[in-house]
Parts: sequence; C-alpha cells; structure tokens
Amino acid sequence: MAYYQATKDPTTDIRERTYVPELLHGLAVTIRHFMRNLFFPRDTNTDVLHRTGTSQITTVSYPEEKVTYPPGYRGLHRLVPREDGKPRCVACYMCATICPAQCIHIEAGEYETTDASADSRVIEKFPTRFVIDELRCIVCGLCVDACPKDAIRMDTGRHTPSEYSRSGFVWDIPRLLEGPAVSHPSDPWLKRPNSERPAHVHLEKHARIGEGLVPLKLPRPPTAHPVRTEVTSGPVPVTKFLRD
Amino acid sequence: MNRTLKILFVAILLVPGVLFAISWAQYRLGGWFAGSCPFFGTPLCDTGGTSLAWVSALLFHMLVFVMVLATLLTVAERKWSAFTQDRIGPERARVGPAWMRKYSFGGLPHVAADALKMIFKENTRPKAADKDRILFWLAPVLAFAPVFALAAVIPFGPTVPVNGHAISAQVANPNFGLLYIFAIASLAVYGTSLAGWASNSKFALLGGVRAASQMISYEVALGLSLVGMMVAFSTVQLPVLIGAAAAGTGQAQYLWQGSMLGLDFGIPAWGIFLQPLGFLLFFTAAFAETKRAPFDVPEGESEIIGYFLEYSGMKFGTFMISEFIEVVVLSALITAIFLGGWHLGFAGDVALAQGLGRSHPVLYGAFCGAVFAMKVVLLCWFQLIVRWTFPRFRYDQIMTLGWKVLLPLGLFNLFASAALVLLDPTLHWLALAGLLEISVLAGLTLTRKAPTSGSGHEAAGHGPSDVHALPAAAASAHH
Repeated sequence: MAYYQATKDPTTDIRERTYVPELLHGLAVTIRHFMRNLFFPRDTNTDVLHRTGTSQITTVSYPEEKVTYPPGYRGLHRLVPREDGKPRCVACYMCATICPAQCIHIEAGEYETTDASADSRVIEKFPTRFVIDELRCIVCGLCVDACPKDAIRMDTGRHTPSEYSRSGFVWDIPRLLEGPAVSHPSDPWLKRPNSERPAHVHLEKHARIGEGLVPLKLPRPPTAHPVRTEVTSGPVPVTKFLRD
Repeated sequence: MNRTLKILFVAILLVPGVLFAISWAQYRLGGWFAGSCPFFGTPLCDTGGTSLAWVSALLFHMLVFVMVLATLLTVAERKWSAFTQDRIGPERARVGPAWMRKYSFGGLPHVAADALKMIFKENTRPKAADKDRILFWLAPVLAFAPVFALAAVIPFGPTVPVNGHAISAQVANPNFGLLYIFAIASLAVYGTSLAGWASNSKFALLGGVRAASQMISYEVALGLSLVGMMVAFSTVQLPVLIGAAAAGTGQAQYLWQGSMLGLDFGIPAWGIFLQPLGFLLFFTAAFAETKRAPFDVPEGESEIIGYFLEYSGMKFGTFMISEFIEVVVLSALITAIFLGGWHLGFAGDVALAQGLGRSHPVLYGAFCGAVFAMKVVLLCWFQLIVRWTFPRFRYDQIMTLGWKVLLPLGLFNLFASAALVLLDPTLHWLALAGLLEISVLAGLTLTRKAPTSGSGHEAAGHGPSDVHALPAAAASAHH
C-alpha cells in the first residue's frame, strides 16, 4: 500500500496518507479517458500526431488504415517502365553485382543486329529474366544506387506481401514491372533524332517481357491461387499431459 | 456525433429496456407459476402446496440476468480496459452476412468466440495431479457454485401482487439473509485453494495459498463493515434493508423530505449516506473477495500464473466466469445494502409507489427491477474501471491493509454507528456523521496540496508541478 512509502516522505500530506483522495484522482483520470473514447468517434487520421478528435485512441487499424511512409522509404522493388510499357532495364548486371545479399538474378537477351532497322537500334540488351528473391533481400537499396538507367527503384511504399510458399517470394518481371513510367532527357531514344520512338523490329519480342509471356524457370511456378503448404509431421509428442 | 447518439441509445433506452423486460417477464411467470399453472398440484408438479414462484426468479434473475451479465462482462472487461488505455479493443470477430460483417457490434461476437474456444479446447491435466483426480475436477465446481448461490438471496425487485399472489424477485428470503451471504461467500475459498493444491504445481499452490490467506483476512473486515447497517435498520434481511417506499421503511425512507407539485424529494436513508466508511470498507473487502486487481496476487499473472495455472478449456473458463459472477453478485449486494436497492432515491419514490404501484403493480415491479439492475450494471462498470486504474498491492501491503487498516476502521465504524443509532433511532445523527465523512473526503479530493516550492522533493520530479510544461519563451516560440 502506497501509504507505507508515503508516510516515510516528510512532504506528504493528509491526502496522500489517507490514500483514498489520490485514488479518486486516479479514477477521475481513467474515467475521463474512458468517456472520451466511448462517446466520441475515433479520429482515423493515420498521421497520429495531427489528430484533433476528442477520442484519444491512438491505434491505426493496420490493414484498413496505413501510416504513410516518408518519401525516402525503401519499400518493395519495382522495375521502372518506359513510356511504351517495357522495362528501362538494359541488363547491365550492375544491381546483381552490387547486391550484398545476391538476391538478384538476371539473364540478358540481345536484339538482332542483322536487321534492316538496325540503325534505329538504340538499346542493345534487355533482360529475358529478371528475378529478385525478396526473402533474401536485405532492403539496403544499393541496387537502386547502382543502376545507371534508373531502371530499378524501391519507391512503391509497400512491404513484400505474405505468401504461402517460399517460391512465392521470388518476384519476376511481370510482378516487378509496375508503377508510373519514367523518362529522362538523356534517354537515347529521346536524344537521337532518328530514333524518337523505339519502334524497332524487336518490339514484339521486347514487349513480351512485360506481359508475362517469357517463361521463367522457378522452383515452383507462382499459381493464381496460392497453395497452403501442409506440414506433415507426426502427432506432437505429449509427454507430461494426459488426455482427459 | 453519430457514435455519441448510438452509445446514448444503448445506455438510456436499450439496456434499461431489456432489463425492464427481464423483470416484467419474471413477475408474469412467477404469477403464472403461483396461480394458473396447470401442472401445479398434479402429480407432475406436486409441491405440497408451496408456491413455485421462486423458480421464475431463479430462471430470470440468476440464470438470465446474473449469468448473461457475467458473460458479457468478460468481453466488457477487454473493451472497457481498452477505452481507459486509449486502445480500440476487441472488434475483429465478425459474424453473419456481408452487411453485418461491416459492424463490430462493440466486440460482442467475441463473447461467442471466447465461449466456443473455452468449450472446444483440449482438456489437459498434469500427470502429477492424477492421484488427486477428483479434487482436480471438484475445484472449479467448488469455486463456481458458492458464488452463484450467493445470488439466491438478493432481491432484484420488490414484492408485488400478481393475479392475487405476492410475487417477489428473490429466489429465497431466509430470515438470516446477510449471514447466508457471509457463510456462502467464505466457501468459495475452498475452490481456489483446492485448485492450487490438486494441480500439484508449485505456482498454482502459491496462488491457492495466497487466495486462502487473503480471503480469510478480508472476511473479517467484510462482515464487520456491514454490522453498522444491520444496527441502523435492526435487520439482516435484504428486502427489509431496502424497505418499501409507500410505507417509508428501510432505505426508502427520507431523512429530510420536501414535496413540490405532488412529487416528493429529499435525501434518502441510503446506506452510502449513513455508512460511507462502511461502504468504503465493504467495497475494498469485496474487491479482495473477488480476487481482482488491485487484490489479484492469487492470480498475479506477471509473477505466478495463479491457482488455475494447470487448468485448460472450460475448467479454466469456470474459474473465470465465477470471478465475473462474483463481480455481479457483489455489485447487487452493494446496490441492495448501500445504494437503496430498487428505489430511485432522491425524488418521486413515494409518488411512484402510490400511483403506478397501486394501479399497475407488475409494471411498477418491473420498473423497480430495471432500476436495480441498472445500478448493478453501473457498479460492475465501476468495479472494472477500478480494476484498470489501481496497481496491484504487494502481499505484505494486502495483509497490512486488511488487518491494520480495515479491521480497526471497521471496529471504530461499528462502535461509532451504534452510539449514534442509540442516541437518535431516527438515524438523523448517523446520516449527519456520514455526510460529514463524505464532505471531508470530497474536500480532501477536490483541494490540492499546497505546493512546497524549492524542496528537493519537487526538484526530483515527484511533485505536483507540471514538469512537462514548456517554459513561457519556448511555448511562444513553439506556436
């Protein structure tokens, strides 16, 4: 009981020694909180510090309400598309090389050079496979810094979503290619007068990459309906407890 | 604003309406049992001439009101504790079609979820407790039964004539009323200590021993705090203690009375005005009896898990529900002994009893029952708020409080009250002393301690001054 401590303190007075008035003060505090939170609707502004409601509930109901991350937040990767919807990536292996977790796997393809429209060939290489193992990724952002073409970014503001199997965390081009298109004045198809738009003969093959037509060699192909993996171990050994 | 209106609707219309309906149905069924029940007197139901009206009180007040309220309190505890701590609380259990799943219904579906979980959980038993198998099974029953049986003598409404039969809202009205409460309430300790012993677990045993010693210590203060009320009204029967407004007896009588436009008002002889100290002592001791915070060392979930450590499934659920039933029953007891029972108290009681009570006795009884039940619900709420406000006492502090504070105060209260009743049997002096106690407490609570500036005490940051306040210059720069 607090009076035991309180009576040792020379500055306590009768309110603290009898203990009950201080208890009533405490009750007043909790009842005030209770009434405010019971009678008034919750302020759902996810920016908690800027809430102005009478209710003092600070919870952000996560899946329905999400706190906005700061602009520099490193989220899930994305492959940045060009204006024509293809990835900006030129398969230079910079990101795969710098990645300390070695979670990026790239296989490069090359555009034909014997072609009639070879003059307009402003891009030589493209990724036939671009795979990130999001489970291995340590979200350091070095791939973004390393990329010379601004082709990979971590500006989605999302986390890696949950999956039912490990293979589901291996993201390929169809899943990675998203978000607003980006172009820079230094992009070759913008710089060269004879190649204002990259409408070369390999357009079809190139476009396939972003449409999920390129087969990927995954441990298990990602399915539309995720399969829950069954844990098939024996009965849990119960040593101390008996069934009633 | 929408939410405010919804809460007000539930608190002012829905809950009292449901309680009114329960009370009304109890009187109606009681009247049917006592009078026109076709089975009455036949071999099917031969009671030897005694009325079966108590069955209806058992059904509606013990099974429906007490049990359902206790069940709802399990989720109310979680929801209300969330509100006192600025959290949302349980709201994720959604049932029904899609349009219903959009609403959380204040977390009510969690009651069903909890109950299902309790019932279908595996029922485990420690191997070492095997030789005490019967005791291990008996403990939850012994913890539950006495607590539930306490509700039998509580009058949930007045005795009113229904179809020519006097129907009370009480299962039994023994002439030893309060003594029954003391006797049965002490039995609950067998369940807890038996649970601790039969589990053959050291932590559970610690919990059981703590529970036993705590309940024995507070039993004395519990009984002593009520003797003042027994002396004041010369009875141990709860209905007599509550009294009747029309006759002006018990707590229904006015100490100081006025009347305006045919409506009576005044200060009633409620126990809380006659015996504020007794109320405080009883409330404290009752808290210790429920084994809830701040007296929850028998549970003490942060140190020992408690006497029910080895119980799982519905056996643990029985311990938990008996705790909440104890909350409800003690609220009902406090209502009956200290808060004027089913009477409104400050105005209109006599007018209501002589008007509605004469013309529509069943409606009057149901109204009184709703008033009683609302007081019980409010007190349950208050007990839950207290539980989430005060920190847990240490074991030695509990013993100190019980033996060195509550017991002497109870004795003092008894002798002072007896002397005042002896001086003035109309209870006015007792009430004056009680009001003086209340005003002293209110004065101490509402005034603040004089600031002692410059002492080392405040420099350490323990003083009442606001150490978090910004200095004036910083505050103006801040805006």
